[in-house]
Amino acid sequence: MIAHVGRSAVAGIKAVGRFGQFVSDMVRALSDVATWGRLTPVQMRRVGVDSLPVALFIAAFTGVVLALQASYTFTGTVPLYFVGTLVGKTMMLELGPVLAGLALAGRVGASMAAELGTMRVTEQVDALETLAYDPQSYLVVPRVLAGTAMFPVIVALAILTGILTGWLASLLLLDLSTQEFIKGLKLFYRFKDTWFGLFKSATFGFTITLVGCIVGLGTRGGAEGVGRSTMQAVVYSAVLLLMLDAFWAMVLLR
Amino acid sequence: MRRENEFAVGVVVIAAFGVVVAGALWLSGAHLGRTEAVYTARFRTVGGLSVGDPVVLRGVRVGRVEAIRLAPGNWVEAALKIYAGVTPPAKPAVVAAPASLFGEWAATLISREPAPSDPNVRQALDEALAAGAGKWPGATLPDIGQLTAQASRIATDIAAVANRVQTAFDTEAVAELRRAIREFGQIADRLATVANEQADVLGSVGTKLRQGSEVLGKAATNLQTTLGRVDSATNQGQLLTILNNSAATSANLRSASQDARDLLAAAHRSQESMVRVLVSADSVFSRISNRSGTLGLLVSDSTLYRETTLTMIQLRQLLSDIQANPRKYFTFSVF
Repeated sequence: MIAHVGRSAVAGIKAVGRFGQFVSDMVRALSDVATWGRLTPVQMRRVGVDSLPVALFIAAFTGVVLALQASYTFTGTVPLYFVGTLVGKTMMLELGPVLAGLALAGRVGASMAAELGTMRVTEQVDALETLAYDPQSYLVVPRVLAGTAMFPVIVALAILTGILTGWLASLLLLDLSTQEFIKGLKLFYRFKDTWFGLFKSATFGFTITLVGCIVGLGTRGGAEGVGRSTMQAVVYSAVLLLMLDAFWAMVLLR
Repeated sequence: MRRENEFAVGVVVIAAFGVVVAGALWLSGAHLGRTEAVYTARFRTVGGLSVGDPVVLRGVRVGRVEAIRLAPGNWVEAALKIYAGVTPPAKPAVVAAPASLFGEWAATLISREPAPSDPNVRQALDEALAAGAGKWPGATLPDIGQLTAQASRIATDIAAVANRVQTAFDTEAVAELRRAIREFGQIADRLATVANEQADVLGSVGTKLRQGSEVLGKAATNLQTTLGRVDSATNQGQLLTILNNSAATSANLRSASQDARDLLAAAHRSQESMVRVLVSADSVFSRISNRSGTLGLLVSDSTLYRETTLTMIQLRQLLSDIQANPRKYFTFSVF
């Protein structure tokens, strides 16, 4: 029992150490702009543009559900134009970044962990090192930069989609006019709502891609290890994303 | 392939950037390219007013609250950004008040001429104005929470009064009240009956009044006829004769009246004598009744009566004896 606790503690410390070492290597690799500069647009395309349909699909249905649930909740004393307030605030502050983040954690994080894990178990990473390529600047930095840069872009478009579908749902399914919806949307709007959601989504992108790279490059044990790394990347990303969400809410919204 | 990636990424990034910038500007109500004037309003407290809240003039949004900061002298200053083309009132003041029941606040521009009817607002504006020129005076209305708290206090007081009323208004009081109400109902029934009867009487009176009115009408007609006759009699000097005769009759009546008054005075005096006689008689009869005095004794004492009767008899006998034998009692001599 005591030995088990000791092993766990040592493993935890090693993990933290590896994480620190990994991050420091990545920061050092930022100086190799020639390498990651030409690879980053490719990753931005894969992480950002190719992920748009999933994120927008989720945001579209989220907007509809928010509008309907808000109208269901507000029946009574609360005016119906608060549907616009709730749809806008919720999409900007919470559901837009978090749902898009969770969806991309599954798509982007898992794909990165699987790709890098396969490269690791098939010794392609070792080959890169043999050819004097820095795996950090060649594999990690483009992905992390792409995730950090493109997540706010995806989330911004997801927020817009969610608000638009919420407006359409209010217009078609609820007894709410466009003017009333816009009145509610603008009622309590602060610019902080916008930058808070986008900043949060950038940290989500950074975390998801970083976790995918760390778990992928740490893969051991062949195909089974790749599968395990993929699962771990999704789980770790989702958990860290929700922890970050709470952290930023406590830091920035209090 | 590389160019294609860059193009796709560029399109998405530009689209997202455009969405964010345009959306933020639209939602915050910013007016790009238009000069906006900034005015400062001075409040004691701004209540729930916050940065970004609308500035309203006669119900129309004309700006927004740009900043709120503490100022020396326990004041709070709010910077109000007013849209270009909006002319504030000549003597402007700002009233911060809740715009709805859901926490929305607005800064409403008003004119100090005429002065606001609310005395608290007027006092706050005067105080802010007295603190110095150059800044618009501001007042703050209580928010819904304060009003609700006040209403809660009133409700508590009403509940206390209700409890006291309930304590005083027990079952017995209720029974008495019910009885009183029942009796009041009976009284009301009686009053209704009386009122109906009185209505009948009044109806009858009205009928009689109508009849009397008709009689008076006839009398008036007769009087008019009489006056006509008088008028015709006046023409022949008969009225003068009648008046002369009436004057003589009146003099006679005055003389007769004087005689009657004398007669009445004499009768009055006789009445007074009679009263005195009656009082004396009453005194005499009282003494007789009380068996005092000679007559009383005579009335009440039979011995005296018998002795008196006997004396009378003896006197008669003596008189008879004197008549029969005068020489026995009287002696006449001449020289």
